This record gives sequence, structure tokens and C-alpha cells, in this order.
Amino acid sequence: MGSPDVGAELILRPEGEIKLETSGVNLFYDGFQALREVSVAVPARRITALIGPSGCGKSSFLRCLNRMNDLIDGARVVGDVLLDGNSIYDRATDVAELRKRVGMVFQAPNPFPMSIYDNVAYGPRLHGTRGREKLDEIVESSLRGAALWDEVKDGLRKSALDLSGGQQQRLSIARVLAVEPEVLLMDEPCSALDPTATFRIEELMLELMERYTIVIVTHNMYQASRVSQYTGFFLLGELIEYGVTTQIFENPKDRRTDDYVRGRFG
Amino acid sequence: MRRTRQAFDEQLEELERRLVEMGRFVESMLERAVRALVEQDVGLARRVIADDDTADEMDLDIEQHCMRLLALQQPMSRDLRTIGTVMKVIADVERIGDYSVDIARTAIKLADEEYSKPLEDIPRMAEIVRQMLRQALEALVAHDLDQVTKVVERDDAVDRLWYKILEDVERLMQERSEVVPQAAALLLVARYLERVADHTVNIAERVAYMETGRLETLAPSHGTDYQPEGEAGKDRDREERE
Repeated sequence: MGSPDVGAELILRPEGEIKLETSGVNLFYDGFQALREVSVAVPARRITALIGPSGCGKSSFLRCLNRMNDLIDGARVVGDVLLDGNSIYDRATDVAELRKRVGMVFQAPNPFPMSIYDNVAYGPRLHGTRGREKLDEIVESSLRGAALWDEVKDGLRKSALDLSGGQQQRLSIARVLAVEPEVLLMDEPCSALDPTATFRIEELMLELMERYTIVIVTHNMYQASRVSQYTGFFLLGELIEYGVTTQIFENPKDRRTDDYVRGRFG
Repeated sequence: MRRTRQAFDEQLEELERRLVEMGRFVESMLERAVRALVEQDVGLARRVIADDDTADEMDLDIEQHCMRLLALQQPMSRDLRTIGTVMKVIADVERIGDYSVDIARTAIKLADEEYSKPLEDIPRMAEIVRQMLRQALEALVAHDLDQVTKVVERDDAVDRLWYKILEDVERLMQERSEVVPQAAALLLVARYLERVADHTVNIAERVAYMETGRLETLAPSHGTDYQPEGEAGKDRDREERE
């Protein structure tokens, strides 16, 4: 009857190199438990999508991956997150260095009120890069990496605030790329963009996948199915199912995943 | 969200309803084509041939409905498998309609001849094949994997009958050269029926996919190695292999 396989392995462990791995991650905001025992392995140089209804914990989980939850008062993480096998919650971890290695792109484009050039050079300068030539090089390669160079190369001194929404989001990506990260966390990166700009970001993600490990949180299941190779479904703070994207959307094992991808929640 | 989901469910049910309607129509074409052959009824055979246009229209109509649902609903999981299944199944059902037309044409060709021996195996084979078609479509609507298994099992009986007819006809042709044209025509009818059975197995396999999400061949022996020489069978077999 097509009912999900009872007792089937719901959390897949991807083959090949694992970039990030969480084990039994629980997240508490004061008295509220936002995540429960999330254990998952994120493969290197692949796109992993996290889906689920609002409030399911997917964005909270994303923020655990580069300790962004540290910035929230009352947030407490129990469990561990390993980056290349090393705990990011270890006392010895340099959090600034961690966030350089694991960069984040947010839902709304957030250009700084300065020039396009200075936006991109901001991170490298902060991390101590000096010298005009070196910065020029970083700015160009980051803007090229974010597929924005051709559109802005003749106006690098113009204000970033004059760019379109889609361009601003690509600028946000360029800014992350400028500090040479290994992992890109993307929290609903296209939710403020029109379909054309969304398409450009999706194309860009597929290009970036060759060099970076990408984890994207999206409300848009079709986006998850278009761009990702692995998908995790969250519900009420739990990772219900994690597997190859085609399997999650064609033949999910858990009834709750099936209900969600078929639009039966609500 | 609940209301749009309900509307989508209703459209999926409508899709299955139309498919069953098409299946019944084609099943009737097959039954009438074989009856026209047995009873040498030219009028009945002509009506079967004329009905093919209706079957083709049903095929296109359902395909359009599927395309619309794919475009507007962007289905996932079981819904996606259902629509994909229906799109594949209508092609099989439509092809069964074509074979019915081939049989009806043979009925017209042989209408004025006296049969060299009474037709027994062909109607028997046709009856099994017709039941297989009905069962495959019932399995689809009832989400019934047991029926899928029964369809696949019955294919063996059809294959056995096909080989028996093949041997009988070969013997007859060797013994009585004057019956060769008629025997060759009837052999093709048996071949069409054997192919129809294979299409019903295709349908059964798709139903299994729809239910389980696993795409696999359920009848490894499905199809025969025998390739008829000349006429429609040859081209069609080639077409189907591609």
C-alpha cells in the first residue's frame, strides 16, 4: 500500500568525505527545547537542504553549525558538532576563525552602507589582509565566484545599496567567499528574491558546490529538490528523515516526511 | 492549504477515474475484436477500428490532464509517482487499442474464409489477456499489490498458449500449404495477444512502482525471444524495444 517502511533507516550516512557532523545536538532557548538529539553527517562539496514547517528548528540547527546561537541570550547547546572531525564547541575553538571557515548567508540581503568594493573587502581587512593589490584580487575573485563581477566591475565604487535585491544577495555571498570559507550556510537565501534572481542564486550554488560544502535552509521544497543532493526533514525540533534528495521527494520513508512534501500539513 | 490539497486529491481521483474509463473502453475493443474474428462479423470489426479514434482522444486528454497537474501542482512523493504512472500506463493502454485494431483488421481479412480449424486457443488466450488488463487497472485503483502479482503470474499462461499456437500453426503449415495465408494471419493475432499481455504486465509493474516507490521488472521472462517476420509485428516490436 505504499506505506513507509516501518523501522527503515531514516537517517542516512552519506558516502565519501564528511565535512560536518553533529551528534545528539539539543538546543535550548531558556526553558524551550528547540532541537532534540539531532545527529547527521553533512558531505563535503555537496548541497544539503534542510526543510520543514516554520518553527521546526531547521534555522536553529543551521546556527548551531557555526555557533551563531552563542549570540543569543539564554541559548544553550548540548551535544557536539564536528568540523573535519574536530569539535567546534571545544574550549580551544576560535569562534571568529570558525565563522570564517563556516560562513553564513542570510535570508535578507544585508549589504553594508558602503561601496561594493568595501563590502567585499570588509572581511579580509577585518582578518588582517592589507595591500591594495591583494585586496583587488580578493574582491575580483569573490565577485566572480558569486557571479556578480560582470555586472559590477565598472562600478565597484558605487554604493552597494543601489544594487537590485538579487545582486545584493550575490554580494552577500561574495562577502562570505572573500574570507575563503569551507562551508556556506544559507538561511532562506532566496526568500526575498523574485524567480529570476532565485534562479541565478540556485545556479550559483551549483557552481559553488564544486569548492564548498553548502547547507541551505529553505521553505521552498522545489528549491530543495532542484539544487540539493541530500535533504533533511525537520519537525518539532527533530530530524525526522535524512537521505538522498530524490528519495526524500519521490519515496520518503517516514509518513510525516511524506505528508510534508505532499503538502498535507496545515 | 487544506482546501487546495483537497482539490488536488480530487483531481488525482479524477485522473484515475478517466484512466479506468479508458481501460474499460479498450478492454471492450479487444473483446469485440476477438469476437468479430471468431464470429466473422465485419460490421463489428469496423466499429472496433472506428473506436480507435476515441481511445486516442482519451489518451491525449489524460496526458494533458497529467501535464497540467505536473505544471500547476508540482507533485511530490506518491502524488508524483501516481501521475508518472498514469502517463506511462495510458501509453500501454493505447497500444492495446492499436492491437485490437490489428485483430479487427485480420477479422475483416478472414471474414469470407472458412477456418481450417475452429478457433479455440485464440479466444482462450484473449479471455486471459482481457482479465489481465482488467486486473492491472483494478490493482491501480485499489492500490492492491496482490492483484499485481496475479497479473504477472497469468502472463506465464499466455506465453504457454502462445508457444502452443506457434507449434500448432507451424505443423499445420507444413501439412497443408493451402492454409498458410490464413494460418499466418491467425498466428499474428496470437502474437498481438501475447504482446497485449506484456503491456498489462507493464501496467502491473507501474502499479507496483506507484505503491512501493521501487521500479523493477516483475516478470523477467516478460516478452518472448520469438520475433515474427514481416507485417506490423516486426515494426512494432522494434518500436517497443526502443
